[in-house]
Amino acid sequence: MHLPDGFIDAPTAVATAGGSLVVVAYAMRRAGRLMGERTVPLLGVTAAFIFAAQMLNFPVAAGTSGHFVGAAFAAVVLGPWAAIVVMTVVVAVQAVGMADGGITALGANVLNMGVVAVLAGYLVHRALRRILPHSATGYLTSVGVAAWASVVISAALTSVELAVSGTVPLHLALPAMASVHAVIGLGEAVITITVLATVLASRPDLVRSGPLAGRIPGSRPHAHGTPGDDMAVREATDPTDDATGRPAGDATGDATTTRRRPWGFLAVALAIAVTLAVVVSPFASRAPDGLESVAEAQGFAQAGTGGWNLSPVADYRLPGISDSGLATALAGAAGTIALFAIVLLLGRSLSGRRTRVVAPPAGALHPLGGHEHTDHRHAGHSHAGHTHSTEVPEDREPHHSHTGAP
Amino acid sequence: MTGTHHFLTDQRIGASPIHRLDPRAKIVGFLTLTVVGVSTPATEVWAFALYYALLLFLVGLSRLPLAFVVRRAALVLPVVAVVAVFMPFFHGGGGRTFHVLGGVEVTEAGLMLLSNVLLKAALGALSAIVLGLTTSFGELIVGLDGLRVPRIFTLIVSFMYRYSFVFTEESRRMHRAMESRNYRGRWLWDAKVIGHMVSALFLRSYHRGERVYVAMISRGYDGTMPAASPPGIHSAEVVFVVCLTLALGAIRTGAAL
Repeated sequence: MHLPDGFIDAPTAVATAGGSLVVVAYAMRRAGRLMGERTVPLLGVTAAFIFAAQMLNFPVAAGTSGHFVGAAFAAVVLGPWAAIVVMTVVVAVQAVGMADGGITALGANVLNMGVVAVLAGYLVHRALRRILPHSATGYLTSVGVAAWASVVISAALTSVELAVSGTVPLHLALPAMASVHAVIGLGEAVITITVLATVLASRPDLVRSGPLAGRIPGSRPHAHGTPGDDMAVREATDPTDDATGRPAGDATGDATTTRRRPWGFLAVALAIAVTLAVVVSPFASRAPDGLESVAEAQGFAQAGTGGWNLSPVADYRLPGISDSGLATALAGAAGTIALFAIVLLLGRSLSGRRTRVVAPPAGALHPLGGHEHTDHRHAGHSHAGHTHSTEVPEDREPHHSHTGAP
Repeated sequence: MTGTHHFLTDQRIGASPIHRLDPRAKIVGFLTLTVVGVSTPATEVWAFALYYALLLFLVGLSRLPLAFVVRRAALVLPVVAVVAVFMPFFHGGGGRTFHVLGGVEVTEAGLMLLSNVLLKAALGALSAIVLGLTTSFGELIVGLDGLRVPRIFTLIVSFMYRYSFVFTEESRRMHRAMESRNYRGRWLWDAKVIGHMVSALFLRSYHRGERVYVAMISRGYDGTMPAASPPGIHSAEVVFVVCLTLALGAIRTGAAL
C-alpha cells in the first residue's frame, strides 16, 4: 500500500501532504500535552515494534500473504493522537530509510496509513464499544472490526488518490483494492484481536482504550490522578466477575441491562452495517468499462479479468441476479453479514480463555501517564511490575507459539 | 515490507566530499532532485535522461560502487514494477493502440503512464538510496533537527531507529524458531499463530523499553538528548546546493518549453 514516487500527480501530492501536515501537527500537540517529552522513548519503542511487526507475513490463502499494519492496534493501545504520531514516524522512516514509498508521496502515505487508518480504526472501535455489549467478546469484536475497517478504508483511500491522479480509474481501482484488502483485513483483525487479548491478559495497564476505560471514574490514567490511584480504584471494586470473565467495572449502571440482551445491540449494529453496505456498495462498482468491456468483447471475461476474483462474491455481485444494482447491494449485505459473523466468532473463541483482566502491576509505566511527579514512582515500582506480570521470557519462545506446530 | 534487513545501516558507505557535506545541504539537495523530477511530464524523456545522468554523476562524486546502489534499488523497485505493469491495461486512455500477447489491447496513453510511473519511482528511490548511503542515520536526524522539524518527532524517530534493530532481530529469531518447528501457515485462520508472535514481540519490546527507560531516568534523562551540532554550512554546501538547483532548474525549464 506504500505509494511510490510518480503514482500520484502534483495536486494530489500537495493536497494530501497539506492535510497530513495539519492533522499530524495537531496530533503532536495533543500527544505532547498528554505525555510530556519524558515518555517519548516509549513511543519510539512502540514505533519500532510496529516497524518490526510489519515484517511478519501472515498467510491469506495458499501462496499469498499479507502483513500486519498495526494502525488500529496503535489507536486502541495509545489513543488516536499518539498513534497518529507513531504511525507517521513508521511511514516516514520506511520512505527515507528503506525507499519504501516515495518522498513526494509521503504526504499521501502518511494520510492513508497514519492518519486515516488510525482515525478510522479508532472511531469504529469507539462506536462499536457503545453499541456492543460490554463484555470481553463485545470488546474484542469492536477491536477486530476496527482493524478490518482500518485496512479497508485506507486501501479505498489509496485507490481514490490513484483515481484522482488519473493513474487508475476509480471503478477499477476501488473494487480491486477493496476486495483484496477486505481479505487481508481479516488477517489484520485476527492478529489485532489475538494481540489485544494477550496484552490485556498480562499487561492491561498498557491499553489506553481497554475494556475498563471510561467505566470507572478516574480509570483513564491521564484524566485524574496518577496511574497508581487508578489501580487502587480498580482493586477496590471486585476484581473480576469470574463466571463471565468480565471486568468488574461493567457491572455498574446501564451495563447491567446490556448484559441481559447483548443480541439486541448486536442486531442494531448489524442493521446499521448492512444498511451502509447496501447503500454504499452500488457506488463502488458501476458499469463495466475499460478492461472489463475489452474482456467481454474478446470473450475471455470468464477467465477472470485482472486476477482479482479472489472473493466468493466475485465482482461484488451475486450470480443469477440480472439487475446489477440490486445484485451489488445484496452482495454487499451478504458480505457484511458474513464478516460480522466471522469476527464475532473469532472474538468469542479468542476471548474465552484470555481476557481474564488481571490486576495490573502497580506503578507500571503507561506511555500517557506522563505526570511529572510520577516519575520517581516509575523507577520505584517497575521492579514490582516485573514480578507480578506474566513475564514473557526473553530467551526462549513464548509458551503459546507451540500452537503452530502440527 | 519486502527487504527486511538491508536498510538503515548506521555506517556510511565509503568517504568522499559528498559524505562530508552538512546533512542539511544533502537533504535539501536530494529532496529537490526528487520533487523536480517527479513534477516533470513523462513525455520529456530527454529530461529524465539528464536527471539520471545527474544522479549518476553524484554517485560517481561520492565514490559509491554503482553495483551496490543498483542492488539496493533492486530490493524496492521490482514490487513497484509488478504493480505498474498492470496499469496500462486498466488505464484505457487514448492514442494509438497496440496488440500484445494474444489480443490484449494497450493504448499509447497507457504505455506513457507506465513509463511515467517507472521513471519517477526509480528516480525517487535512487535519490533516497544515495542520500541514505552517503549520510548516516544519526546525521540525518541532526540535519532534520537543523531544518526545524519538530523535536518530538526527531526524538521518536531516533529512539525508534535504535530499537528497530533489536526488535527486527527479535522478530527474525521468532520467525526462524517457527520455521524450524515446521510451521507452514497456508490459510487465513493460521494467522492466529502470527498473532501470538506479534503479542510476544510487543510484550517483550515493551518490557525492554521500560527497563531501558527506567535506566535512562536513573542516569538523569530529562526528556532531551544531547544534540550533536552539524558540520555547518560552508562554501562546499553552498556550491553543492546552488549547482544542483541550477542544473535541475535548467532541465526543468527546458522540459516546460
